[in-house]
Amino acid sequence: MLLVAQGASRRFGSRVALHPTTFELCEGEAVALIGPNGAGKSTLLALLAGALEPSSGEVRLRDGTRVGWAPQRPAQYGRLSPRENLEFFARLEGVPRPERATERLLSDFELPQEDRPSDQLSVGNRQRLNVAIALLGEPRVLLLDEPAASLDPRQRRLLWQRAERLRDDGGGVVFATQTLDEVDRFSDRVACLLDGAVVFDGSLESYRESRPLAEVFA
Amino acid sequence: MRSVALVVAKDLRILRRSPLLLGVLVAYPILIALLVGLVAGYANAKPRVALVDEEGLPAVVVVGGERFDVAGTIERVDEDVTLVRLPGDEAGRQLRSGKIVASLTVPEGFLADLRGMVRSPRLVLRTTQGGISTRVVQQVEALVYALNRQLQRAYIDANVGYIRLIQRGGSGTFLGRRFDVLGLDGTARALEELPPDERVDEIREFVRVAGLALDQTDDALRATANPIELVRGADRGRTWVLSAQIQAYALALTITFLTLLLAAAALASERDENAIGRLGRGLVTLGELVVAKVVLAAALALALGLAIVLSFGLIIELGGVEGGEPWGRVPLVVAGLALAGASLGALGALLGALVREARAASLVALLVVLPIVFLGLVPREVVPVAGWVSNAFPFVHAVRLFASALYDASPWSVLAREAAWLAGLGAVFALLARLGARRLLV
Repeated sequence: MLLVAQGASRRFGSRVALHPTTFELCEGEAVALIGPNGAGKSTLLALLAGALEPSSGEVRLRDGTRVGWAPQRPAQYGRLSPRENLEFFARLEGVPRPERATERLLSDFELPQEDRPSDQLSVGNRQRLNVAIALLGEPRVLLLDEPAASLDPRQRRLLWQRAERLRDDGGGVVFATQTLDEVDRFSDRVACLLDGAVVFDGSLESYRESRPLAEVFA
Repeated sequence: MRSVALVVAKDLRILRRSPLLLGVLVAYPILIALLVGLVAGYANAKPRVALVDEEGLPAVVVVGGERFDVAGTIERVDEDVTLVRLPGDEAGRQLRSGKIVASLTVPEGFLADLRGMVRSPRLVLRTTQGGISTRVVQQVEALVYALNRQLQRAYIDANVGYIRLIQRGGSGTFLGRRFDVLGLDGTARALEELPPDERVDEIREFVRVAGLALDQTDDALRATANPIELVRGADRGRTWVLSAQIQAYALALTITFLTLLLAAAALASERDENAIGRLGRGLVTLGELVVAKVVLAAALALALGLAIVLSFGLIIELGGVEGGEPWGRVPLVVAGLALAGASLGALGALLGALVREARAASLVALLVVLPIVFLGLVPREVVPVAGWVSNAFPFVHAVRLFASALYDASPWSVLAREAAWLAGLGAVFALLARLGARRLLV
């Protein structure tokens, strides 16, 4: 098991964003999180990423497992260039040779090399930078929150190729999406959330058979 | 600490990318400091006072044989107040409209009373009810004091002249009438010519003792007129605008604005940029994030404060102003800048944590900083409550620390006390900011 959430829940004041949830991610697995807006997908991903503390329960990682997280809204500094953003997070992550890792990701994600602030980039380029930062330090677990929403078709293809490569190498991928095509093409397992609770968690085949939340995606 | 250093370096880089914002943040508090200085300077400005001369004072008046330089005396008063000669009705009108703060009237008969030396001549002072009128009254009292001193000298000289006349005899005038006096010396000589007699001996003894006593009258009269004499030394030391107090206010005010706004905005912007979640995944703890903003504030306070101190120092050196050259005290001020910057930065971080949105945090910081500064400017002796409240914020302690570091001959006790205040307040605000920073994750 790479990652386990055991009865993890999250409240924001009196509002329950995620009821106690148990979720596991195994090696070589790609899990799609689906559900309507406000179902709790982003909260679950943030809990798994360690960006939020669970209000109850716990999230455990296998020792030495690195986690990469690309939140739905890009998490980067608008006044810094893509290179500066990547270098900053690389140093914080303790990536050896941060300059080299930065160069590789700038090239892989076809990001602008010049020192233009990130907030002057197109929405798609900002999302590419967001995912690139998540891949710093070569994580074994990749958590992606609607990562392809603003990417052009070529970049979407490149993104999923990277995710598949990570999964095929024994890593794990959890992604939230609103696109059933991505679920069909890239997931091995599907977890459906509704009103802050997991209402379905099963293989892609069983999901196809039962089609939970069909009315949402009709 | 590595992550703190990385975050501080990142923030400095972002700040460098925002020269306009940085310029405004630096220029604004300096402008405020100058305005406060101007307002304080106005309190020291010469008030406009009317001189209503109903008597028609001549340039020189002779009293008791002494010449009085009336024009010169008025010129000396003009150093403290701006005297404008006005007719009585115009002075009354300007006093009511506030164009002048006081009118000083020399009534008819003033010179006659002055020369007569029987009745005290009167000057009539009328003032407005503004806050400055007390000062004007004090200045006019000082003028009357100075005039009285000159008159005392003349009166004493005149009186001493009469006493000499009593001692030695001769001719004199009083109220314009001439008279001849035998005098004690003449009386003694007349007594010598009389046949010896017990009664004559008693009178001779009285004349001798009276002569001895009257010999002491000159010094006794002068001492009685001026039991304590104030002697003014030469003016030395810094001009008002360069005074340590103004430097201390300028420094404290500038870094208070800068650090509060920057620390508040810098912490809140981590949430605005959505980076707080990424950082919070074990890369940078919330405590380290607060410390990073405190360090950022301290570093900027140090840089800007040092620039101000060096500028003041250069002006003092180039202007040849004596009294308290700042170079020897720069290390003390530097330490104070870092400590005050950190303490204020912690307060700014607390605001940023509570408000959670960079622009709103900047606005709130601005709203908070103004009352803090103005409370700190209110003298504790005048409004004790203002003193108690401002004690709970770093500004006033920064002012006292800088003033002591720049000026006090032996600053250590004040420095230790104010540094303890700043460190204590900084620790409390930083702790509260750390607790409040959890709200940034929501």
